[in-house]
Amino acid sequence: MNGPPVTSAADAVCGLARRRRVAARTRLDFWFDLVLLLGYTLAYSYGFTGIAIHEWLGIGLGLALLLHLTLHWDWVLRTTRRLLNPRGPDKVIWIVNLALLFAMTLCVASGILISRVALPYLGIYPLAGPFWSRLHVVTAEVTLGLVPVHLALRWRWLVRVGRRLLTWHRAGPDR
Amino acid sequence: MKFLRHLAAATLVVAVVVLLGLAWNHFGAATLVGGQQASFKQAPANARVPGAVMPRPGAKAGGPRGAPVIQTRPMDLGLSSMLDPVNLAVLRHTVVIEAVVIALVVMIDVSRRLWRQERRARQLARSRSDDDPDP
Repeated sequence: MNGPPVTSAADAVCGLARRRRVAARTRLDFWFDLVLLLGYTLAYSYGFTGIAIHEWLGIGLGLALLLHLTLHWDWVLRTTRRLLNPRGPDKVIWIVNLALLFAMTLCVASGILISRVALPYLGIYPLAGPFWSRLHVVTAEVTLGLVPVHLALRWRWLVRVGRRLLTWHRAGPDR
Repeated sequence: MKFLRHLAAATLVVAVVVLLGLAWNHFGAATLVGGQQASFKQAPANARVPGAVMPRPGAKAGGPRGAPVIQTRPMDLGLSSMLDPVNLAVLRHTVVIEAVVIALVVMIDVSRRLWRQERRARQLARSRSDDDPDP
């Protein structure tokens, strides 16, 4: 009765599909992160984009960041649980990410509260004030320091996936 | 379903951070703007931001219940500023800062790993020499 495990064709197809699914998720993470970086770089360059694009892009980034956090929620839970382990490898990344979460959220929220184009265009007149203006500037500067750190701490993953995607594109997705 | 659960959790975390920001504004706004008030420059009364909605002359600034707010021209998306080479310097500045920080972190990470590898190799060599019988 306890013979060797039989690998049926269906199992093989299922395994292949699972592998493909993981690859699809990796591709999504990679491209989505790249788009986030580009969007953030543009949004930070306020003098380059002008106020309207800066504000709409900022609102879009806020939603995209919520999605980014959602997509990586498993990592958040896993790493938070492992924090008690003194030799946990992701401690620095966790702290940087937490700081970035605070800075980015407050930056987008304060940006919405001092909006001069996007929200008034929608008929919403937010409360502006020196606190929110100052908070927006401070958190924007903090995020400019933290975003590249957040990215660079995963540089091996980025290089590895980037290389794989490059070869995948060269070879063709169907091969 | 799992995605929605995660989205709800992420939204809750973001909401908590926003609430903390609101609480900071309510209870300790002076800690952020207290010393900075003097450094704010008063913009001239007739100054306007490109694309910003402007109140009608003579009207009070306000929301929908206040004075009517009109746009003096079709919404300016600021696309012209994107094409201006002068403004390109702003984008370049941001990219340079990001690139420098990324390079620094990568260099620190690489040197840290190299140092660890070296240390491990040294420890291994030492333990091997300890195991060797004396001649």
